[in-house]
Amino acid sequence: MTARIDACVAVDISDDDIFDAMKDVSGYLDITPGDFKEVYLKAYRHAVTRLTQSVKAADVMTRQVVSVGEATPLQEVARLMADRKISGVPVVDDAGKVLGIISEKDFLAVMGPGSADTFMCVVAQCLLGKGCLAAPYRAKNARDIMTSPAVTVTEGTPIMDVASLFSEKKINRAPVVDKKGVMIGIVSRADALRWSLVPEDR
Amino acid sequence: MSYFAKMKGTTKSPPGVSLTEVALSWLGSFIGITVVAILQSLFFDGTDLVLMIGSFGASAVLVYGAVKSPLAQPRNLLGGHVLSALIGVGAFTIFQSQPVLAAAAAVATAIAVMHATKTLHPPGGATALIAVIGGEKVHSLGFLYAVVPAGVGAAVLLVVALLFNNIPKGRRYPEFWY
Repeated sequence: MTARIDACVAVDISDDDIFDAMKDVSGYLDITPGDFKEVYLKAYRHAVTRLTQSVKAADVMTRQVVSVGEATPLQEVARLMADRKISGVPVVDDAGKVLGIISEKDFLAVMGPGSADTFMCVVAQCLLGKGCLAAPYRAKNARDIMTSPAVTVTEGTPIMDVASLFSEKKINRAPVVDKKGVMIGIVSRADALRWSLVPEDR
Repeated sequence: MSYFAKMKGTTKSPPGVSLTEVALSWLGSFIGITVVAILQSLFFDGTDLVLMIGSFGASAVLVYGAVKSPLAQPRNLLGGHVLSALIGVGAFTIFQSQPVLAAAAAVATAIAVMHATKTLHPPGGATALIAVIGGEKVHSLGFLYAVVPAGVGAAVLLVVALLFNNIPKGRRYPEFWY
């Protein structure tokens, strides 16, 4: 957290910039360039904190979440992900509590020769004519390959913390849960990125 | 930073001001001090009261020469002089038999009180000191010293500062009132 803000704060403002700016202001300014720089950098840090903490997961999450149950057959899970063009889907119980999450990575992890976990490994296997690598999983269900427990966030998690979590855990999405663990939305890398590119009208 | 390294300083002096600014500061303080001096000669000469004290020269530096400074704002100008005057008279009253202690206590306590009340105004330190070292005439005023000269004199400087500093395009006063 602190490290990231420090990175943002590395504003390249020189004492000369400040001195020149002070010359642009008419009248005598009762502050040294050094003190001004200190105040400026601290103010910048406060602004970064305010902006990064003010946007919460709930502000950017997708509320209509496609989800599956733990007994949903993998055929159906794969079909759903393909139809909806999504790369991951949360697995929830009847009450809406998040049990786990299935992503493309989970499929890849079980399809290759042991350690295969990239798409190109699977392509290579197919090109070698070894048949459908997913075949052994035809009869399996969501619970058999899902990552559990899923990494989740709450409505109030600042979006910058969500982004850090994505990067730290190497994941691309996280279900947003309420206090009872019931899923109320999902936030993806795209959601986090969209916020950082366009700070929206706030 | 080590103790001696701190004495080298870390930054440079702020930029100097334009000739216009120099002229405005000269004119403003000239008018301000003139008004106080005229009032002194019209209404106070020959009485037991005084209006002009040395610390107003210092106040003029701030309210006509460093208009934007937090130290030069009305709250500081009036509050600094009045509170410091009270402290100075108090210190003299309590410690009059020990002039060294009275002087030091007056200035130090004035600074502390100005800090605590967000009225820091450097000339206030002089106002407190003058209450102790200002001689018989000042001593005989007692706590009236906080009203005349401290309060009234500062108010005159303030009125002139308000009238004068808002005429030039590049100046405005105050930054805040309280």
